[in-house]
Amino acid sequence: MTLSDRIEKLFMSVQKPVRYMGGEFNAVMKDPEDVAVRYAFLFPDTYEVGMSHLGMKILYHAINARDDAWCERVFSPWVDMADLMRQNGIPLFTLESRTPVREFDLLGVTLQYEMSFTNILEALDLAGIPLRREDRVDGPFVICGGPCAFNPEPLAPFVDLIALGDGEVETGQTIDMYRKWKASGLPREAYLRMCAGIPGIYVPSLYDVSYNDDGTVRAVTPKPGSGAPEVVMKAMVPKLDEAVYPDKLIVPYGEIVHNRIMLEIFRGCTRGCRFCQAGMIYRPVRERSMDHLMAMAEKLVAATGYDEISLMSLSSGDYSCLPELARAMVEKFAARRVRIALPSQRIDNVLTDTLKETQKVKKTALTLAPEAGTQRLRDVINKGVTEADLIRSVTDAFDQGWSAVKLYFMLGLPTETDEDVLGIADLAAKVRRCYFSIPKERRAPGLRITVSASVFVPKNDTPFQWAPQLDYDSVVRRQRLLKQALNQIKGVDFKYHAPDVSYIEAVFARGDRRLGAALERAWRLGCRFDGWSDQFRYDLWLKAFEECGLDPDFYANRPRSEDEVFPWDHLDCGVTKQYLLSEWHKAQRAECTRDCRKGCTGCGMKRYEGACV
Amino acid sequence: MRALIRFGKRDRLRFISHLDLQRFFQRAVNRTGLPVAWSQGFNPHPVMSFGSALALGWTSEYEVIDIKLSAPMGRRRTEDAVRAALPEDLPVLEARMVDDKHPAPMALVRMSDYRITLGGADAQRVYDQVPAFLERERVMAVKKTKSGEKEIDIRPLALALEKTDGGLYARLMLTEQNTLKPDLLVKALADMAGVGVPETRIHRLMLLGADAAGDIRPLMEL
Repeated sequence: MTLSDRIEKLFMSVQKPVRYMGGEFNAVMKDPEDVAVRYAFLFPDTYEVGMSHLGMKILYHAINARDDAWCERVFSPWVDMADLMRQNGIPLFTLESRTPVREFDLLGVTLQYEMSFTNILEALDLAGIPLRREDRVDGPFVICGGPCAFNPEPLAPFVDLIALGDGEVETGQTIDMYRKWKASGLPREAYLRMCAGIPGIYVPSLYDVSYNDDGTVRAVTPKPGSGAPEVVMKAMVPKLDEAVYPDKLIVPYGEIVHNRIMLEIFRGCTRGCRFCQAGMIYRPVRERSMDHLMAMAEKLVAATGYDEISLMSLSSGDYSCLPELARAMVEKFAARRVRIALPSQRIDNVLTDTLKETQKVKKTALTLAPEAGTQRLRDVINKGVTEADLIRSVTDAFDQGWSAVKLYFMLGLPTETDEDVLGIADLAAKVRRCYFSIPKERRAPGLRITVSASVFVPKNDTPFQWAPQLDYDSVVRRQRLLKQALNQIKGVDFKYHAPDVSYIEAVFARGDRRLGAALERAWRLGCRFDGWSDQFRYDLWLKAFEECGLDPDFYANRPRSEDEVFPWDHLDCGVTKQYLLSEWHKAQRAECTRDCRKGCTGCGMKRYEGACV
Repeated sequence: MRALIRFGKRDRLRFISHLDLQRFFQRAVNRTGLPVAWSQGFNPHPVMSFGSALALGWTSEYEVIDIKLSAPMGRRRTEDAVRAALPEDLPVLEARMVDDKHPAPMALVRMSDYRITLGGADAQRVYDQVPAFLERERVMAVKKTKSGEKEIDIRPLALALEKTDGGLYARLMLTEQNTLKPDLLVKALADMAGVGVPETRIHRLMLLGADAAGDIRPLMEL
C-alpha cells in the first residue's frame, strides 16, 4: 500500500479530513524529477489558520516561480490526526505530493506566534527528524522566519538557520546556496557556514552565549573562525512593486479563517505604538502603487473566484491614497459582487466616504482598537488617538447604519492604574451614548458593543522590552474590576481570557537559549497547540520549567535594567536599541512621538540601503 | 437558460463534504467568467443546485450541477469555461444546455448505479451472498435516520445487483421516500455472511430518472 493510501485510510476517523487532502485549485504540482530542490513549508498550526496567512502565500509563490524548486505545504496535524499518524507509523507529509517531510532538502517554518513553538517540535518528531540539530545526519535543513525570528533563541537548539526580515529574496538565496553546497560535496555543517554570509540569515550554532551570575546574558558572540557576523542585519526589500507577489492563490475546499483575496497595500507602519512589535520590525513603510494594486486585484479575482478582497497592512487607513484606492476598487468590482474589506481600521483615520463606498456592497462590523482607557495611558503607549477621534468615528458609523462595534484593549500596560482600567468602561459607555444620540429612525436596530481586553505581553524589539509583565494575580484583579464596571452598562459584551497563556507567551517572547530545554520538556510532557485554549496545559508548562530548573518569572515579570544585554541584541531588526530606549523613557513621561511620515524620528532604519528614501 | 454539467469526483477529492463542495462551486462559477444568474435578496449567491449529494469518501463519475445563466451561452463554451475553473480531480465529463422550464435534476433522480469494491479477508464471503440476497423476498436492515433507527425491507430497493470483475454492480433506489445507500447494502450482505463489514469503496456510476413514458434513462438525457 502506498503512503497516500495509508494516509487516506485515516481520513474517515479524523475531524475535517479536508485539512490533509490537498488537491485544491491552484495548488502547484511539479514533477519531482524536474526540480533540483524540494522545499517543504511548514505553518505550525492548523490548515485553516495557516491557509489564511499572507506570508506563506507569498513565499509559496516565490519559490514555485523558480523552475529549479518545488515548494509544498505542511500544516500541523490536529491532535486526532497526529495521534493516528503515530499509531500507524505515518510520517508527516506534504499536501501536494504526499511525500514524507524528512525526504525534503529544506524545511521552512514560519514563526508567527510563540505559542506555536511546541508544534514545531511535534512536527519534527512526526516527520522522523531528530529534534536537536546536532543529532541530525541527514534530512532537511530547518529554516525559520517570521516575526518571532527576531528572538529565536529558545528555538536555537532545534533549527539550522533563522531568516530575519522580508523573505522574498533571502528565501531564494538559501535555495541557491543549497544547490552550491550540494554540488560541493562538503559536509552538512558547511551549508550553515555558507549561509551565514547571506544578508538576513542568522546561524544560531555559530554563536556562543555566556551568562552573568544573576542569570542575565553577558554576551552572544560569533564562534572564533566561523566567519559569522557580530550583528545580523535583517533582509529588506526596498520596493514592493518590484517584489514577487502571487498572481494565483490556492482556493481551499473547506472554510478557513480568512477565505478571501489578501492584497498587501503596504508593509511597515510609521505610527510607533510602543507595545507593537510588528510596528517596529516591519519598518520602513513601503507602499505598493495604486496601479499595481488594481492590476493585482484583477488577476486574483479572475484566478480565484473569491468575492471579497481584503486590503492588508498594519494600518490600512494610513495608505497615502486610500480613498482613491477604495473608490477605484469598489467601482471596478461592485458589478461582479466582489466586496472590499478594510481591516485594522484606526479610529483617527476611518474615512467616512470610504465607509460609504465599502458599504455599498456589504456591511461588516466596525472594529476599533483604542488599546487603553485613558488619554494618559494612550500617550504612554504612543497610540496617537484621542477620545474625540473615537467618538467621531463611532458616531459617523452609527449614523451610516452600523450597529455593531468591537473595541479592543490591553490590560497590564506599563504604568497602568485602576483609573485606566475603569476608563475602558467609561469609553464603552460613551460609545453607547453615541448610538442613542442618533435619531431612532436613522440608526440601525440592534446595538452590539463588544469589549475585548487581552493581557499585555512585552515583546522583544519594542520600547516595552524593558518592562515586566503584570503579575498573574494583579491581572485577574483588574479583569474583575473591569467586568464589574462593564456589567453596569447595558448591551456590552466583555471578552477576556485567563492570563496563563499570555504569561507563557511573555516568557518565550523575551527568552534565551536556555529555554530550549523547557520547550522540549513541555512538548515531551504533552504540550502542543498551546495557542488553542482547549489544548493549552498550564500545569504541564509549569512542571516543565521546574524540571529544567528555570524560573518563568525571571523572563516574564522581571524589570530589566537599561544596560542589560538581551538575548536578541545581536539581531538587528532595523530599529536601534538606543532608539527603543529613548522611546521607553518617553513612555514613562507619557510623552508622544510623532508619526514618522511627518518627519524622521531617527529609529535607525536609514542605516539600511534603499530605506526611507 | 441553464447549464447542466456532469462532472466526476476522483479519489483524491473524495473527502470533500457536500457542503464544502457547494461552497467551492460558488467560487468556481465566479472563475468561469460565465454570465451566471444571481439570486435576489439579502445574501445574493449564484443560482445553482446539485443532482444529488455524494457521501464523504465516495467517488463518482456522475455528479450533476445545474447552473442558471442570465444570458444565452453555447454548450461548448460553457463546458470549456467550467472545465478551466475546476481542478483536475473534478473533471467535467458532459454538458447540456436546457431552458428555464426544465425540471431541476434533483427532482428527476429516481435511482443510482454504483460500483462497490470490498477489501480484506472477508470480501469474498460477502460477495458470495449476492445470489442468496436476490432470491430472498425480504431483507430486513436497520436504517439510521434523523429520528433514530428504523428497520426496513431493503430488498425491493435494490433494483439490480451482480458480482462483476471489479466488485459489485448495484442499481439502488434514490428518492426522498425510498433510498438504499450502498453501505447499508454491504452491511446487510455482511450480516447474511456472518462477518463484519469489510473495507468498502463506493463509486457512483450514474444517476437515473424516468422520462414521460416512465422509461428509466440517464439523468443527463432526460
